[in-house]
Amino acid sequence: MTIKYESQRIAQHFYTFAVLLFLVQVVVGIIAAVQFIKPDVFILNFNIIRSLHINALVVWLLVGFMGATYYVVSEESEAELWSLPMAHFQFWATVVTVTFVVLGYIWMGINPQANSPVMGINPLNEGREYIEAPRWADILIVVSVLLFLLNCVMTVLKTKKWTGIQGVLLGGLVFLALMYIPGMFYTKSMVKDQFWWWWVVHLWVEGAWEIIAGALLAFMLMKTIGAKREVLEKWMYIEVGLVLFTGILGTGHHYYWIGTPRYWLWIGGIFSSLEPIPLLLMVWDAFRTTREARNVANRAGLFYTVAHAIFNFVGAGLWGIIHTLPQVNKWTHGTQITTAHGHLAFYGAYVLLVISMIYVTLPAIRGVKEYNTSRAYQAFWWMTISMVFIVLTITGAGMVQTYMERMMGLDYEAVKTTYNLWFWILRAIFGVGFLIGVGIFVVDFFKLGKEPAAAMSAAPEKA
Amino acid sequence: MSNKGARNLFIFGSLFFFVIFLAITFDTLGKLDKRAPEITKEVDEGKHVWHKYDCIGCHTIFGNGSYFAPDLTKMAINRPRSYLKRFLMDPKSVNANAAMPKFGISADEADRLIAFLEWTSKVDTNGWPPKPILAVAAGVSGPELSAGQKIYRSQGCSGCHMINGIGGTTGPELTHVGSRRDRNWLHEHFEDPSKVVANSAMPSFKHLGDQALNDLTDYMLTLR
Repeated sequence: MTIKYESQRIAQHFYTFAVLLFLVQVVVGIIAAVQFIKPDVFILNFNIIRSLHINALVVWLLVGFMGATYYVVSEESEAELWSLPMAHFQFWATVVTVTFVVLGYIWMGINPQANSPVMGINPLNEGREYIEAPRWADILIVVSVLLFLLNCVMTVLKTKKWTGIQGVLLGGLVFLALMYIPGMFYTKSMVKDQFWWWWVVHLWVEGAWEIIAGALLAFMLMKTIGAKREVLEKWMYIEVGLVLFTGILGTGHHYYWIGTPRYWLWIGGIFSSLEPIPLLLMVWDAFRTTREARNVANRAGLFYTVAHAIFNFVGAGLWGIIHTLPQVNKWTHGTQITTAHGHLAFYGAYVLLVISMIYVTLPAIRGVKEYNTSRAYQAFWWMTISMVFIVLTITGAGMVQTYMERMMGLDYEAVKTTYNLWFWILRAIFGVGFLIGVGIFVVDFFKLGKEPAAAMSAAPEKA
Repeated sequence: MSNKGARNLFIFGSLFFFVIFLAITFDTLGKLDKRAPEITKEVDEGKHVWHKYDCIGCHTIFGNGSYFAPDLTKMAINRPRSYLKRFLMDPKSVNANAAMPKFGISADEADRLIAFLEWTSKVDTNGWPPKPILAVAAGVSGPELSAGQKIYRSQGCSGCHMINGIGGTTGPELTHVGSRRDRNWLHEHFEDPSKVVANSAMPSFKHLGDQALNDLTDYMLTLR
């Protein structure tokens, strides 16, 4: 396996930044987990740690998508990127912007008054979950994304090979960029604030991102086992179509209790209950294609791809549908049940997706035909088993909280500090397990294909 | 289905659902201001304070946020203003066990933040958060029972009707009766149920007198 176009190498820059942010995300995640047990354990308060945890996540996934997309667009267009220098500029601009945003959060953590408004705008932190990045950073991020999209589209126009995969991939990315805009203006009403905020958050993770996932799934199945493009693309259209048919109106499941009209209970309840269907279809697609495969070109890549499809369905689908009906959600909304769903959904749908893309494309970028896959599997099992237990402990905590606080009427703090204490302790322990998995993955990322051939023993694949 | 057919289904189907979504969004935006009190200057300034200190980094509001600290949607209802103000300015001075650090929130900022939280507490959230079933049953949730609630209890209405999960299932559930029926309908119904609901099995409560039926109607109208 080698790359056909020199500019595909740019993906590696993005992957490296993504992988380092992933490490940061998990380290601060463990600090946050300990703060659930002892709130004042670290120099930065929970709100700053939590902002870092979720922002690092969003940014590293986006950066991973960008790297993967540059690779895919060049491959599918059968051409070098339109402008490699612009891709480099866009990469470094993103790194610099993200670094300043992170420094801003830390500064605000040490001195909260540093976030006092300048001309009516908070300079360090917008104080809105997931889109905490201040307005100046929003604008720079938009510029970066526009340059990125321009580069991709111009590359496609060079040869005009509009394959289904790259059409859907770029369509998803344009949709992603457009859906960033509703989060960029101030509204006086907290109800409207949250209304538009969900356009960004929901239409990203249950819309645009799932479209990107559908396109990349097809690409990865094609590359790892040489599955037929015709068939893959047809099912891809059906999958991403169903994602949007259910997911757009599925936004309604966030409009039950924020001050929006009651009819959203019906719309959200019905459409979000259908949201797991396309995710199940993706699992079936992955298994069907794999079963027909005779020549597996990249075992670890295929392994992660199929795992991504499965955990996308379990995390985003199953863990979502359990509390999506308004009758249930009325009691569970805003409890740890949501946290549990968030963790497994992001892990299964997007963390595994970006890691899959890394394992599918990195060997080619590094120019190796075979590589030692043992660390790839080790990392997978450490991360996945740990994440499953993290999710089970938080689900347990959420059930206790729903019952004791919401149904019995006990105080929030009493439930958190007393009855759920063991869940927090177990969660922190499994968090360390997850960090071990990430550590193995990071080592593998930097070493893949760079070790002498002798070290590449055919390590037995653990099942 | 051909590839082209699948592609067109994806593109036009998605556009179709997005247009529907836009239409409902348009309708919703027209209704939001009526479901919440007016936003005064102080409330808006309070929202700025809310963003400045990244409150959502620990708390939730309308159930959305960080799940690390209590939900604040209705906090201003359950705590006296003077307590909230002192707590916001220096949490550990009023509650030694408080997990919240001292952020340096000024007296002015605290007042505005409380005005903001008083505003959120009055938003019509379709009954969220629900009153805890057991606390309601034990009578420890919220203020003194209203006159209407007392009549509801003394007449044993919960033998047949359910409110917030407590009560019988023989008669219609009353959890949201206030949003379905108006004052006249309810009053008339208490006087003579079968007059407004054909074949109603509910007895007349006319003998309780006008005052009592008005109180009971007031209570029903709070159930939204």
